Amino acid sequence: MRLRWGVILFTLLGFPALFFALTLLCYLAAAGCESALHSLAGISGGGAIINSVTLMVVIVLTFGGLLTIGDRKWGSAIQDRIGPNRANLGPITLAGIPHFLADALKMLTKEDFLPERANRFIFGLAPAAVFIPVVALFAVVPVAPQITLLGEKVALQVASPDFGMLYIFALASLAVYGTTLAGWSSNNKLAILGGVRASSQMISYEVALGLSVIGTMMAYSTVKLDTMTNAQATWLWGGNGAFDIGIPAWGIFLQPFGFLLFFAAAFAESKRPPFDMPEGESEIVGYFVEYSGMRFGLFMISEYIEVVVLSGVLAAVFLGGYHLPFGERFLGGYIGSFWLAVVQGMTFWLKVLFLSWLQLVVRWTFPRFRYDQVMKLGWRILLPAGLVNVFLTGALLLLDPSLKLLALVGFAEIIIMLAMVAKPSEGAQPAPAPAHGHDHGHAPAH
Amino acid sequence: MAYKVPEAPRMTVREKAYFPEAVRGVAITAKHFFDNIFGRRDPNPNVLERKGLSRVSTVQYPEEKIPYPVGYRGLHRLVPRDDGRPRCVACYMCATVCPAQCITIEAGEYPVDSERESAVIEKYPTKFVIDELRCIVCGFCVEACPKDAIRMDTGLHTPSGYARSSFVWDAPKLLKGPAVSHPSDPWNKRASSAAPVVHKEAHTRVGEGHESHEPKHG
Repeated sequence: MRLRWGVILFTLLGFPALFFALTLLCYLAAAGCESALHSLAGISGGGAIINSVTLMVVIVLTFGGLLTIGDRKWGSAIQDRIGPNRANLGPITLAGIPHFLADALKMLTKEDFLPERANRFIFGLAPAAVFIPVVALFAVVPVAPQITLLGEKVALQVASPDFGMLYIFALASLAVYGTTLAGWSSNNKLAILGGVRASSQMISYEVALGLSVIGTMMAYSTVKLDTMTNAQATWLWGGNGAFDIGIPAWGIFLQPFGFLLFFAAAFAESKRPPFDMPEGESEIVGYFVEYSGMRFGLFMISEYIEVVVLSGVLAAVFLGGYHLPFGERFLGGYIGSFWLAVVQGMTFWLKVLFLSWLQLVVRWTFPRFRYDQVMKLGWRILLPAGLVNVFLTGALLLLDPSLKLLALVGFAEIIIMLAMVAKPSEGAQPAPAPAHGHDHGHAPAH
Repeated sequence: MAYKVPEAPRMTVREKAYFPEAVRGVAITAKHFFDNIFGRRDPNPNVLERKGLSRVSTVQYPEEKIPYPVGYRGLHRLVPRDDGRPRCVACYMCATVCPAQCITIEAGEYPVDSERESAVIEKYPTKFVIDELRCIVCGFCVEACPKDAIRMDTGLHTPSGYARSSFVWDAPKLLKGPAVSHPSDPWNKRASSAAPVVHKEAHTRVGEGHESHEPKHG
């Protein structure tokens, strides 16, 4: 068995080390700026300014940019190909990573084309109207907890407003204006078809998106993402020994169904395949058909940034945010609260990486849905399912406010889902048509 | 007026629920991902015989090449005589039969006072040019040649180039490969009925030896 030990080692050690260093640097920068502003000008808020640069601009943009090449390389691995590997910096090929630099260079130097009779102002505004809300989404995502460093209270979160999740819903739906305006201002039939599809899809999935996460809001009695994250550090059962291990009150245990609904709705919201009806490059080229150069690049990269942001929100709401699944108190006793916070930040980025990977795998698994299928999924499946989830969660919370009953029902839901996924054996299946009754190519290839 | 899609009759209830089979699909995709990310690709050019975890079937072309099948003939060449000159006698048969009209020949005459040449052959090509971009590699010229002067046995294909002019090949570029001589060649005519001299194998292909022969006639 010949394995690529470099890749395995990087996956196991490199990613944690990278995220550890990133979190450490972010904490130091935030604390340094906060204390400098405090001592020099006597005002607070320097940490938030630095956070908005380091987290939103540097890390999320780089993460999104690297996901573009990650999408190509991972997609090629999924399809048994090698993928782009020719771009290099001299002898350094880095498994094709320089392709993302080459792409950026190409887009920046391409002709900036303006179609005839297009609305110049809106045409130029639309890419920014897509890009800016998507980047701004990350402002409320808590990356690492609040600690005291250099005498200042710093948290790796740009802002923690009282309206938390509502901010995400509001800005996520703002992004569609850019899409629709791009379609309209291009003076192109196919582009406006894409824009109209985008807006109708957005309306359909906005409702399901909001409904699917209401159960979690009720369970934690908050819409603030950092409060939600900290509520997930409590234990449902166990967690009392010297090494604290038990079942934490993570959103995925309390709301497995809500997790699925939110994942599907948010996926549709981000306009990525299999929900890329607005783009649909094989039928209509989509709302950005007239765009070239970096204006198109902004549309493209905002999709990937949306993947990162969505992963961050999913991690914060359903996967315990920056909290370790176990042993947090035990570890904190040894290394102190500062290093524990850095480890927690690393955990958060690892969760984001895993969820981004999951989204890309989903993207490479499913073919694009047909338009009526997308509408049917949104209005006739996700919306009623979300309503049922809200009522069920509310009833269970009224019966038992300690979340334990909700968690029991959640486990039952998980077990039912796993039982559905596990394929019934050939003999147990009724098999109405023996010739072709089952096995539509599910046998593992080779 | 939506088109009513007929439902696949073979789907069971579990398959119609979509979610279980969707998760299985993601699992298959993820398995391919991990196999190919963590497994080292076997560079064996015979893709079907590749071993190991990785299922990648790519052949990294310029670095790795799939060997050509044995029947592959490839680019044409002008066949040299033992003395290194082309066997061609500028009869224009190949240029005439060429459906792509990619062969250009200009004939020249050996000087009459030349001892050896004009005694047996009169014409030779002063210019023999093949436009490789026009050539359709049909092999008609090989069939038409009465003197076995053009063959397609190099096993090469046209190399890439940066200018169109680099595909217009003249006689020095076309003339390569092992020399060929036949007992019937006029310069091999025996003066008497003595035992014949040993001749080169007439069906010498490129790469089958006879590459480093000594030119006999100078």
